Amino acid sequence: MPLIEVSNLSKRYSGVAALRDVTFSAESGEIHAIIGANGAGKSTLMNLLSGVTQPSGGTISLDGKAVRFSSPQAAQAAGIATVYQEFSLVPQLSVARNIFLGREPRSRFGLLDRARLAADTRDLLERYSIALDPAQEVGSLSVAEQQMVEIARALTYASRVLILDEPTAVLSLTEQENLFSIMRRLRDSGLLILFVSHRLEEVRRISDRMTVFRDGRNMDTRPTPGMTIADVVQLMIGRTQSVPPAPHLVPPDAERYTIDYATGQGVQRIDIRRGEILGIAGLVGAGRTTFARALAGNPVPGASVVAQVNGAALALGTPQEAIRSGIVYLTEDRKRDGIFAGLDLVANTTASALSDLAWRGIRNRRTERVRSRAMLERLQLVAASLDLPIGKLSGGNQQKVVLARALLTRPQLLICDEPTRGVDVGAKAEIYDLLCGIAAEGAAILVISSETEELLALSHRILTMHNRRFVAEMPVDQANENDILLAASGGTPAKEFS
Amino acid sequence: MFRMRWRMVEHNAIWLLLGSGALAAAMFVPAFRDPENLANVMRQAAVLGVLAIGQTFVITAGMIDLSIGQIAGLVVVLSSAMINGDTAMTLPVVVLMLCVGAGIGLVNGILLNTLRLHPLILTLGMMSVIQGAIFTYTDRSIGRTSELLTTLANGSFLGIPLSAIAVALLVGAGHLALTRTRFGYHLVAAGGSPESARRAGISLSRIRLAVFVISGVTAALAGLLLAGRLGTGYPLAGNGLELDAIVAVVLGGTALSGGRGSVIRSIGGVLLLACISNLLNLLEVSAYLQMFIKGLIVILAILINQPRKGEA
Repeated sequence: MPLIEVSNLSKRYSGVAALRDVTFSAESGEIHAIIGANGAGKSTLMNLLSGVTQPSGGTISLDGKAVRFSSPQAAQAAGIATVYQEFSLVPQLSVARNIFLGREPRSRFGLLDRARLAADTRDLLERYSIALDPAQEVGSLSVAEQQMVEIARALTYASRVLILDEPTAVLSLTEQENLFSIMRRLRDSGLLILFVSHRLEEVRRISDRMTVFRDGRNMDTRPTPGMTIADVVQLMIGRTQSVPPAPHLVPPDAERYTIDYATGQGVQRIDIRRGEILGIAGLVGAGRTTFARALAGNPVPGASVVAQVNGAALALGTPQEAIRSGIVYLTEDRKRDGIFAGLDLVANTTASALSDLAWRGIRNRRTERVRSRAMLERLQLVAASLDLPIGKLSGGNQQKVVLARALLTRPQLLICDEPTRGVDVGAKAEIYDLLCGIAAEGAAILVISSETEELLALSHRILTMHNRRFVAEMPVDQANENDILLAASGGTPAKEFS
Repeated sequence: MFRMRWRMVEHNAIWLLLGSGALAAAMFVPAFRDPENLANVMRQAAVLGVLAIGQTFVITAGMIDLSIGQIAGLVVVLSSAMINGDTAMTLPVVVLMLCVGAGIGLVNGILLNTLRLHPLILTLGMMSVIQGAIFTYTDRSIGRTSELLTTLANGSFLGIPLSAIAVALLVGAGHLALTRTRFGYHLVAAGGSPESARRAGISLSRIRLAVFVISGVTAALAGLLLAGRLGTGYPLAGNGLELDAIVAVVLGGTALSGGRGSVIRSIGGVLLLACISNLLNLLEVSAYLQMFIKGLIVILAILINQPRKGEA
């Protein structure tokens, strides 16, 4: 008998169906991947299984018995634990206190039993070979370590099912491997792991079976061995993945940016021509974003940039100066410093170009509307209305709006940090097209991405960073995934960086 | 390693500040080190100390309570009017006043939970409401407090002011509650990251309720002490006390953003304020200039409390 059986499950949010007649089952002792594009219904399914929301119809059975979880606590009591994409830790508290938050052991007199709290935590961490100090404050841990705390906490409930929502999004390669080996051990001990992911390559490596979702329905459940990525993509989007456009040629006499990047370890010079797409590869924490932000007027102590074009130095002291010098940075974290979540699409598109669009400081709403509509149309944004708050848009559409904002300032050097993070497969292809188009019109584009295939498809040339330094440079026709990963992990670079 | 040490310094900054300040004062102002003066500093600090204990709970939980000064003021007026010199009335009135404080705190908490207002706005409104109530009741000093409260506020035991002993006991209880009980853990968690606490199954509305009741009760206790010191029901007695308490708590290193706080260090902040105020009096600095200096200290306190760059 399957451990979890879901039949005819559906969920409607204010009349809109997020999940329609979903029927599938999963066994204990397997890693079961749940995949699908954004909005395909994965998160809704997870929320129903973990008791965050309740179904509009259909049933969930655990061990053959129908269950109904009225709250996350009820699901936890049944042995289903979830690790969400955004963490639910209290940064000011220690590892131990976070793991047992809400269920702290008490001694007599009602005081907390701190000795047992520490001992229980140590036992737990040891049992799963998680290397963490129970007493350390969570806020001082790396993102990967914080995720381990999150998983350790889930494991205190998860006697039957562990749900991991996009667990590798924030991890470096070695951290991923570490997570995968923990996942395999848990599976072998009889746990069912539901693994929600965008990253098909990982799904192929770690999962035993996969269920693919599209438009709120489950398309199919298949054993992973034998599936190719192309098969999965076809199931996900109902067509084969569009091949990104081949990079156009860069005119050899194009203007050249010379960028001197100074860190504590010395100065390195890189260059980029107008019309060129330069990819920057590297692991999380390699210092790519620090470099990009320094170039866009956000230097941090120990990382500064001097940039010249045709021998003339550019003013890059503040983001404002950088934008005036034609350099714009598109953030990797839209929620944090990309979008104005409560403002409408017009305000979000025109924010950086207001000095052009306003007359002596007074905004001209009509001009702004016209200009932002034109730009958003060019980017093929489909939205019900320009008056929507941007926070209501999908990740892909938000990215287009932020891109539109950058383009309104007529950038000459555009830096895109993880331009397709949290963006579904269809919108990804559109963003690739757009970036190629912008480059063809004569802008230089720097693309930072953790997806190597993306860099290989998009760039003319790829730089790799490791440990805050550029360690390798490869023209795209001589680059491959292996060499890049090797250089990014600190191995011998295929070609020494000059 | 350096980070660790710096954190130690940061955590104990208030003691360094207090110790070096008091030492300098004792060296250069002979009147300051007079034992009777030091006992007086403690007596003056007691009222603020009790208020600061409650406010530490509130701020650690990520909120703020501006109504405590006026709650104390209300208790000063009501208790003096009701006791009116009759020592036998002391106990029943004390119990009643604690209930008044708890009641107002309960109202604060319930309104906060049902109306979802920002605590700053809600308690600012409550502050004005209570102030209005006091003045509707009386616009001049009224009644007389009992012998018992006066002794508690001004008396000594073995040279140590009774009020200081009372505050020390309260601090001990408060510290234990904040660091060693499940409620204290949950309060810190709720202040640090309400969403995470909620997901961990902690009831935020219960914590809000409890925190404001604690705050109301400590405000009432402070009011009783203050009545003992003043001897009569002075309607303006509570004015400004809420801000002094907040400044003391912030000086003690409690984060205004919540999630980090210590009752003991708040008392350090209270003592620092009391020493400064005492010193300025001894040096015969004018009251207006004292206000000016106190304002600067408030700004300094916020500066010290700001998270440093590079720290998440």
